[in-house]
Amino acid sequence: MTEVTEAVDNAEHNAQTSTEETEIPTLEFENGLPGFPDVQKFALIHTELAQEPFSIMRCLDADDLEFVVTPPALFFPEYEPVIDDSTVSRLGIESADDVLLLSILTIGDSAAEITANLMAPVVINTKNRKAAQTILNDQELPIDAPLFTESVTSSSQTQG
Amino acid sequence: MPMLVLTRNANQSIMIGHDVVVTVLEVRGDQVRIGIKAPRSVDVHREEVYAALQRANREAAISNEQKLAALANVPRPISKPKLGDTKKP
Repeated sequence: MTEVTEAVDNAEHNAQTSTEETEIPTLEFENGLPGFPDVQKFALIHTELAQEPFSIMRCLDADDLEFVVTPPALFFPEYEPVIDDSTVSRLGIESADDVLLLSILTIGDSAAEITANLMAPVVINTKNRKAAQTILNDQELPIDAPLFTESVTSSSQTQG
Repeated sequence: MPMLVLTRNANQSIMIGHDVVVTVLEVRGDQVRIGIKAPRSVDVHREEVYAALQRANREAAISNEQKLAALANVPRPISKPKLGDTKKP
């Protein structure tokens, strides 16, 4: 991939030496994640490559399992998911202000290929750190919404 | 897993475990309407939706930082200081 430049190599090097800041100590996914039913504990961290508004959701009870996440509202201002009652009750959510909503991103080779899972967001109760990835049924939301519009990415892409 | 096959009419149900009840509500041509009563701790999903999410999560899972190269230079929705502008407000 020619887009991987020296700057990225440096950033990767830095990521291993810089201190990683934990935002929320431990997230508890009681029911695991679809595709990964046996993992329950995750931490949100920033790394050299995953800076605001992106975070790494790193699994604490499996080696080498990480997801890139971001608050979807920054990229999809129209996105207003309705979280079902059973998720609200299972996570013990008492106020919408306690909820941190994150979308899992799939990272492609370029910015234009980054997609967000809007169909199944990660819902976190920041009060008790219980979390779940919940499927928004019947809200017709995409599982792979491009994070950036073409106009944004075409101006930032470097073509060799 | 072996599959248990049962014949049911409309308005008849099946118990799964102690507390999951699956009821056939209506049969119309190829379509069957099914009602499910389950405790909140049990996730109930359409199989193809769940399978798509499993695939999406596996694809999104990263095992190292290499794949994150695309993140390094993405446009950010938050305004950043321009290059060379080192002053902070």
